[in-house]
Amino acid sequence: MRSASRDFVRPNRFIAMAIAIVLVFTGLTVRLWDLQVVSGGHYRDLAEQNRVLRLPVEAERGTIVDRNGKVLARNLPGFAVTVIPFDVPRAEQADLAERLAPLVARDPKDVASAIDVQRARNPYEPVKVSLRPVARDIALLLSERAELFPGVRVEAESIRSYSDAVLYSPLLGYVGPVTEDEYAALRDQGYLQTDLTGRTGLEYQYEQYLRGQYGWREIERDAAQREIKQLAYSPPSTGNSVVLTIDDRLQKLIESELKKGVDQDLFTQAVGIAMNPQNGEILAMYSNPGYDNNWFINGITPQQMAQLNGDDRHPLVNKAIGDIYPPGSTFKLVTGLSALSEGIANRNTIVNVTSNVLTVDGYKFYDWRAHGTLDFVNGFAHSSDIYFYTLGGGNPNTGRAGVGPDAIFKYGSDLGFGSKTGIDLPGEASGIMPSPAWKLNTFDEPWTIGNTYHESIGQGFVAVTPLQLLNAYSIVANGGTFYQPHLLKQVVGPQGNVVFTQQPTVVRKVGITQENLTLLREAARRVVTIGHAYMPNAKLPIAGKTGTAEFGSSAGKDSAGRNKLGFHNWFVSFLPKADNTDPTADIAMVIFTFDSSRSLCENCFNPAVGMTQRILEAYKLGTP
Amino acid sequence: MSVKALEMRRSASPLHDRPHARRLDQVDPYLLIATLLLIGYGLVMTYAVTVESRTLTGDPMQFVIRGAIWALIGVAVMAIVAMFDYAWLGTFAPLVYLFMLGLLAIVLVIGTSSLGAQRSVNFGGLSFQFSEVAKVLMIVVLAKFFADRTDKMGSPLTILGGLVFLGPAVYLVYRQPDLGTSLVFVAIFFGMAFMAGARLWQLVGLVAMVGAALPVIWNVLKPYQQARLTAFIDPYADPQGAGWNIIQSLIAVGSGGPTGKGLTAGTQSPLGYLPIAESDFVFAGLAEDLGFMGAVILFALYILLLMAALRVAFRARDPFGMLLGGGIAAMLVFQILVNVGMAISLMPVTGIPLPFISHGGSSLVSICFALGVLQSVAIRRPGPQIG
Repeated sequence: MRSASRDFVRPNRFIAMAIAIVLVFTGLTVRLWDLQVVSGGHYRDLAEQNRVLRLPVEAERGTIVDRNGKVLARNLPGFAVTVIPFDVPRAEQADLAERLAPLVARDPKDVASAIDVQRARNPYEPVKVSLRPVARDIALLLSERAELFPGVRVEAESIRSYSDAVLYSPLLGYVGPVTEDEYAALRDQGYLQTDLTGRTGLEYQYEQYLRGQYGWREIERDAAQREIKQLAYSPPSTGNSVVLTIDDRLQKLIESELKKGVDQDLFTQAVGIAMNPQNGEILAMYSNPGYDNNWFINGITPQQMAQLNGDDRHPLVNKAIGDIYPPGSTFKLVTGLSALSEGIANRNTIVNVTSNVLTVDGYKFYDWRAHGTLDFVNGFAHSSDIYFYTLGGGNPNTGRAGVGPDAIFKYGSDLGFGSKTGIDLPGEASGIMPSPAWKLNTFDEPWTIGNTYHESIGQGFVAVTPLQLLNAYSIVANGGTFYQPHLLKQVVGPQGNVVFTQQPTVVRKVGITQENLTLLREAARRVVTIGHAYMPNAKLPIAGKTGTAEFGSSAGKDSAGRNKLGFHNWFVSFLPKADNTDPTADIAMVIFTFDSSRSLCENCFNPAVGMTQRILEAYKLGTP
Repeated sequence: MSVKALEMRRSASPLHDRPHARRLDQVDPYLLIATLLLIGYGLVMTYAVTVESRTLTGDPMQFVIRGAIWALIGVAVMAIVAMFDYAWLGTFAPLVYLFMLGLLAIVLVIGTSSLGAQRSVNFGGLSFQFSEVAKVLMIVVLAKFFADRTDKMGSPLTILGGLVFLGPAVYLVYRQPDLGTSLVFVAIFFGMAFMAGARLWQLVGLVAMVGAALPVIWNVLKPYQQARLTAFIDPYADPQGAGWNIIQSLIAVGSGGPTGKGLTAGTQSPLGYLPIAESDFVFAGLAEDLGFMGAVILFALYILLLMAALRVAFRARDPFGMLLGGGIAAMLVFQILVNVGMAISLMPVTGIPLPFISHGGSSLVSICFALGVLQSVAIRRPGPQIG
């Protein structure tokens, strides 16, 4: 009975149960050992990452000011839109992207993919979905209708703002978002995925100075990404300010003259550059048409982009440095300098221009009139083409020798033609300084005397940027020193401390005798006093040289509805301190008008001359 | 009167039993000590969890006091139940069963929703999870059923009969829906059938049938339940969605390290990374605060409790008592395995409370009731002179 009554107890099952219990706890303990003892450090790090978030604190970009402190680029307060992927339910992401996209001026697909990318990377950290700062009303909308925009946050962010945007856009350029490719290279320098960087112009050139250093703050945050408290803070450091050599007053004087001409359809495009020949400082640089660089800051619309791209005058190109043109008669400086330096000519060299046509090998080479007997100064002053044909290519009819294309190439190159001046702007063109070797290389054709003649008066193959031309005349004006043109004057720290001062950079001393330089300055002065660029009621001893180039179409209208004319006028000048031939000029200027009105040119009236006179007189003597 | 006769009389007629003070020395000390220590551990964790919790607002000490009151109620229930002969439960097993089904039905009818499930009934400002009580009552019913058929345990009909009793309860709990607790019912069934001596091939066959039915079961599961299961297999497939809880729980546990961050010094729960940190994920908070050491101490207490329960069952005077012990042990070990396993990603996420540690008076009082029954079994075991 007793043993039978205990039959219900099955010891084996008890043992099995006990073993099962021990196994369960052994399994749990082993797993805990692995998690806590073996991998404890790893999980502790993860918990810290959960808890602590290091947020970048935006640093202000430095301002850009002119030489007198006038602010050209500044920062205005704006708003950035960010999304924390974790707070966006997957099911609602498409709807959110759809709603958010128009507010941040992006494609819904791009917004959604930005959220996806960040979700994969770190879903608890906000990702900026606005490429550009958004306006206050959008920021308000997003904050007030938070239920429609889960996970969306609005944060303060400064907006770059350009005063006189169209006037300075060719110089300043603009800032824009870094691309995915650039980010790979820039991340080590502290750039963020959604960072802005200088895209072109001085914003690009001096990114390293202008850019500030992000600060950061460490916050303790909860799972809903709410900030619990700030744990640590490191302030951002504002970028340095860039002080330009530009004089806003001169820039605006040039603009007022040139813009008026474009607006009145006297010409379709215009360039004006002023420089101090004594150190290479660029005092003004104007290129019309320009563009509103604030468009790029606020997020350029497709219409705006189409407008810029559809304008065949290429508003996005800074014509002062980025496009090349035949220099026309202004190039007689190089022909003359070559002939003087090589002993082919001196101030008394006479050419009898008895006819307005020089016929060589059956080809006719024209002058604009029969000048009669000309010496060097008069040949230059009256811009005789036959005089400079003769100096450059000689006269086979009389057996007279010219200096030849190789010498012109040598001195032209010395004066900086055919290569970049090295100005501190992106997008500079090299221009073309031709030579027989160059022609053979490029066209596989031998050089002809006609090539020499055309080159001698700045036509044919030779092509220059307005800055190169200004630079060449500056070298003559300062007595033979090639200073690198530059826009940077100083870099100033946030506290006003000078970080860097740009010293004049001598590219080279050009091998020209002072006697010849003096003669060239005298000839240039005579252009104004007796010659081609007569200035009525002149108040300043301006010296210079005109040029008229004919190239391109002279039929039809350009995309802006202006007449295409194919006449392009130059006046490149310098202003000595007194009316003498000393190398004292502290300002040199080039004015270039593109597609000048035929009515201006039929009387050979060069609009650049009068504009130069008005600009320099207003600048030096004050506006009457 | 011989001892044998006394015992036979008792088992024949429990109504004649009287609790006697002299039997108090028969109380299983290990079971009692483990129970009290675990209740104490639970109160400590109640304090830590409420200090850290974001969802429970108010003075942590109030929660501790409330927990302590529940603990006192639990201990009182345990003591009172232990006084009575557990045979009474067998006598009233049919009523117990109907009462249990009634409780579960009430939950479905007037239960309050929380997190998408109707699991509790509010009564007098208190919220009761009747399924916690129902689990213990199910043990009683199954113990009675199997105990009455100790000589027919080899028959498939016995197993099927047990399943007939089990089925409605599992269904009602599943409908709440509370998949986890319904699985506890299933675990209780298997544990008790095993202890009762069911043929292994029958149990294995049942498991195989369940396995074969998995595709069907999968389709019956609600999407969130499916998501939990897939997240269990690979939490990193959807780290912000279904995998979130698991990953954050792992981080909490792992970051606790060997000795923990210190009581109330955890960060995962206060910052909202640990959901339901007072109940479902309470172990993660414990492991974060107290580390591997704290967890091992907890495990040691559990093992002590479970082994004591098995010993009580082993020494029970009758199959009913033995099966009560076996069922309670099976229930506890299954809940511990699932709750702790969930926190350390060994088990899918289910809302099963961790015995003694999770907040909740219903769970604690139900367990105390069960342990009171167990003590009653211990007290009424045959004396050493018999064995």
